[in-house]
Amino acid sequence: MILSPKYSCLIIAFVLTLFGAISVQSQINERELINYAYESTYKPEESEKIIIVNANILTGNGDSILDASILMQKNKIVAIGKDLDQTDALVIDAEGKWVTPGIIDIHSHMGVYPAPSLRSNSDGNEATSPTTPHVWAEHSVWTQDPQYTLALKGGITTFHVLVGSANLIGGRGVTLKNIRSRTVQGMKFPNAPYTLKMACGENPKRVYGGRKSEPSTRMGNVAGYRNAWIEAQAYQRRLNEYAEKSDEAKEMSYSPSRDLGLETLVGVLEGDILVQMHCYRGEEMAVMLDVAKEFDYKITTFHHAIEAYKVADILAQNSVCAAMWADWWGFKHEAFDMVWENTAIVDQAENKTGCAIVHSDSAVGIQRLNQEAAKALAAGQKAGLGLSKERAIQWITLNPAKALGIDDQVGSIEPGKMADIVIWSDDPFSVYSRAEKVFIDGHLKFNIDDPDSFQRTDFDIGIIDPEGDRL
Amino acid sequence: MKLIKLIFLVAIGISSLSVFAEKEDILIKNATVITSSDQGVLNETDVLIKEGIISSIGKNIDSEEALIINAEGRILTAGLLAPVTNLGLIEIELEAETRDDRTDHFSAGFSISSAFNSSSTLIPYNRTSGITSAIVFPSSGRGEVFSGLGSVFKTHGNIDTHPISTDIAMVMQMGGNSDSRASIFLELEDAFLKAKQFKKSKNMIQRGGFFDSGEYSERDLEALLDLIEERKPLIVKINRASDMLRMIEFSKVHGINIIFHGAKEAWRIADRLAKEKIPVIIDPMDNIPSSFDSIGARIDGASILTESGVNVLIGIADAHNSFLSRQGAGNAVANGMDQYEAMKALTINIAKAFGLADSIGSIEIGKNADLVLWDGDPLEVSTFSDAVIIDGKIMSNMTRSKRLRDRYLKVIGLD
Repeated sequence: MILSPKYSCLIIAFVLTLFGAISVQSQINERELINYAYESTYKPEESEKIIIVNANILTGNGDSILDASILMQKNKIVAIGKDLDQTDALVIDAEGKWVTPGIIDIHSHMGVYPAPSLRSNSDGNEATSPTTPHVWAEHSVWTQDPQYTLALKGGITTFHVLVGSANLIGGRGVTLKNIRSRTVQGMKFPNAPYTLKMACGENPKRVYGGRKSEPSTRMGNVAGYRNAWIEAQAYQRRLNEYAEKSDEAKEMSYSPSRDLGLETLVGVLEGDILVQMHCYRGEEMAVMLDVAKEFDYKITTFHHAIEAYKVADILAQNSVCAAMWADWWGFKHEAFDMVWENTAIVDQAENKTGCAIVHSDSAVGIQRLNQEAAKALAAGQKAGLGLSKERAIQWITLNPAKALGIDDQVGSIEPGKMADIVIWSDDPFSVYSRAEKVFIDGHLKFNIDDPDSFQRTDFDIGIIDPEGDRL
Repeated sequence: MKLIKLIFLVAIGISSLSVFAEKEDILIKNATVITSSDQGVLNETDVLIKEGIISSIGKNIDSEEALIINAEGRILTAGLLAPVTNLGLIEIELEAETRDDRTDHFSAGFSISSAFNSSSTLIPYNRTSGITSAIVFPSSGRGEVFSGLGSVFKTHGNIDTHPISTDIAMVMQMGGNSDSRASIFLELEDAFLKAKQFKKSKNMIQRGGFFDSGEYSERDLEALLDLIEERKPLIVKINRASDMLRMIEFSKVHGINIIFHGAKEAWRIADRLAKEKIPVIIDPMDNIPSSFDSIGARIDGASILTESGVNVLIGIADAHNSFLSRQGAGNAVANGMDQYEAMKALTINIAKAFGLADSIGSIEIGKNADLVLWDGDPLEVSTFSDAVIIDGKIMSNMTRSKRLRDRYLKVIGLD
C-alpha cells in the first residue's frame, strides 16, 4: 500500500511524537537510573548488643569521657556514658584502653593503585585528557587489594578513594567502608555523596606539558578549569530549560542528550557532588576559591595542602577544609615549604574555626593515621598552640566525615551513628598504641588476638605458601 | 660562672647555646643514658665531653671548665645514623637539577663523595630530629645493577664538609627489573671475573698493553676489586627470599661482605641470615607487598629478625625524612622488637655494619661526642630533640621549616 503524502506526513508526525515521548521517558528513566544504579548494596547483618566498658573515650566531637561505656546494637551506637544498662549485652572490658570512632582516611588510592603495583592494575589516572569528569574511581576499584586489611589493622573503617592527580578534573571519587565484598557496590558507603577530584599545580602541567599540550603552566591549568565550568553551566542551562518546558513542549522536543562528564560537573554546580581538590600552594588555593566564586560552586577540601598554613585564615573564612600530611615534603617544589605545625595552624585559625584533616595518600600511612595525627598534635603543642587530643582526634574522624558529607552517619561516638569503633591498646597518640579491636557497624571486623577475626582478601590466600595465608 | 650559665640555660633553653658553646667542654648531668653499648641504659648519669670526644661517663662527674647541661629526667642517646640515604644529594626529587644521586656515566665506581651539599635544607631539618651522621649512597648508575659507592658525612652543615669515611661501600639492585634476575646473577659473575682479570692485567696495562674492560670503566673495576680485597660491604637492594639465598651463595664464592637492604622477605630466612652474620637494613613501617618480589612483607619483620639474632639496621628510603627511622623503630617495638635493640638499630648496629663503630654509634669513652638529648622517649612520635651535639659542639636547632612556621604564625595571628 502506498500512502498519500498527507497521511504519511501524519504518520511521521505521530512516529516523531512517539519517539519524543520515548525520549522523554528514557530521560526520566536515565535520571532515576543515575540515582539508583551504582548504589551501595552494602547491608550489614544485624549486630548483637555489645557494651564496651571501662574505656577512656575520645568521642570525636571534641570531648573525652574517662572510664565510661559505649553500648551498640543493631549496627548503631545506642548510648555512651557511665552506668549504662548491660542487660543481655556482650561485655567487652576496655580497662586501661582508649576508644575512638573508626578512623576515616579522606585520601586513599587503595583499590585503584593496589598492591602489588602492576601495570595491569594501575587504574587511578585516566591521563589521556586533562579534563575527565566522566570517569568514576569506583569503576576501577579492585575489591581484593591486600592493603585494605592492613588499613583495617590500623583502625581504618571508612576511606575515600580518589582518582589520581594527573588531570585538572580527574573524575568522581567514592567513599567505601572497609569491609570485604566481591563487589565495589558491596563496599560503598551507603548514601555517601559523590565527590569530584580536581588537581592544582605541578601534576597536570607536568603530565600534559610534557606532551606539548595544554596545560603546560599554572595559568593553563586555571584556563582549563574555567573552560570546563563554562561548558558545565551551558549544559546546566539546557537541562533546566528542558525541565521547565510544559509536558506538551517536552513531547515536541528532544531532551538534552546525556553527557557523563557534564552531568558530574552539573552535580557540583548544584551542590550534590563535593569537590576534593589536590592543591599544595597557598596562592593556588586562593585562586581556586576565586574560580569557585566565578562559577558559584563550593570546594569542600584542599588535599595535600602543604601550604595551607599560609592561607589558614582564608580557608577558615571560606569554610574549606585542608587535608594534610604530618611531615611529607620536598618531593616536588610545591611541597618544599612544609611545616610540622601545618595541621595545627589550620585548626586554630580564625578563632579555632578551621577544618583540619590528616590524610595519608599512602598504603603505609593509612595504617597509622593516628600516629600522623599525633605528630601534627605534638608539633602544634610544641609551638604553643592550645591543642588537645580531644581536638586532634577529629582530624582523622569527624572532620574527614564532614568533608565527605557523611558526618550524620560516622565520625563521632554518638547515639544513632554507625557503630564504627576502635579499641586501642593505649593512648592512640602514641607510637606504641595498636588497634586491638575494630568494629564496623557493630561487627568485630578485627581482633588483634584472633588471626581468624578478619577476612583476608583473595590475594592473601595461598600466595606465599599454598597451605597458608599471607598474613 | 658555672651557675650563671646554668641559670641562663634554664632561662633560654639549651637550643640557643651554640654561640658560646664553641671550643668548650660540655658536662651533661643526670641524664638517662641509652648507651647503645653493652652498658645498656644508665640512670642519673653524667657524660663529660672534652675536645669533641666522650671522655668520661659516670656518676658525680665534676668539671670546672665545662658548660653544664642539666639533663635531669631526660634521655640522652648517641646521634642517630641514616643508613643508605640520599641526604645531601637531593633537594627536590622531581627537579633533576637539584639531584646528584644518579649518573649515566659510571656504574660500580660511581663515587658521590664530591657531591654532598652540606647547605642542603634537608640537613638541619634531619639533624634537629636526631640524625648526626648520614651514610650517603647514589640511587642509580649506568646499567640496571650497580648504583655506585657511598660515603659517610656528619650533619653539622659546615660549608667545607668532607666525608669522615669515603667510598665506604657499594650499592646494587637485585630483582624487579624487566630483565631476568638470572641475567643479573650472570652479569655479577661477569663483572667480578672482569675485575679479577683487570687486576692480573695491571702490569700489562701499565706497559701500554690493551685491556678490554667491556661495559665497565677501569674505575668501576677498581671499585669491584675493593669489595674483594678490602672487604668493603656490598649493599644489595633485594626483597625476595630466594634472591637473598642465591646472593649469599654468590658472596661466599667471591668472598664479599654483603648487607641486604629493603629485604621485605628477610624474615623468611632469618636463621640463615643470623648464621651468615649478614646485616639487614629495613624500614619496619613498609609492610606493603608492593611487588611480586615482596609478597612476604610484614609488619613484625624487624622483631622476627632481631629474635633470630640478625643485626638489624633501621633506615627510611625518603631522604627528606630520614629521621623517621625513629618512628620506624617505634613501630618495630609496637610489633614486638625489644626497645633497646630498636635503639641500637638506629645507632650502633649501623656503625658496626659499616665499620664505623670505633668512632660513632654509641655512648662510650673515646668516641666522637655525637649525642642527642630528647624531651621524651626518642622512639615516640611526639618527642623532639632538646639538644643535638656533633663532635662536642651544640648545634643550632633552627630549620627553614621553623622560620616559615614563625613567619606565618604571625600572619595568621596565632603568635
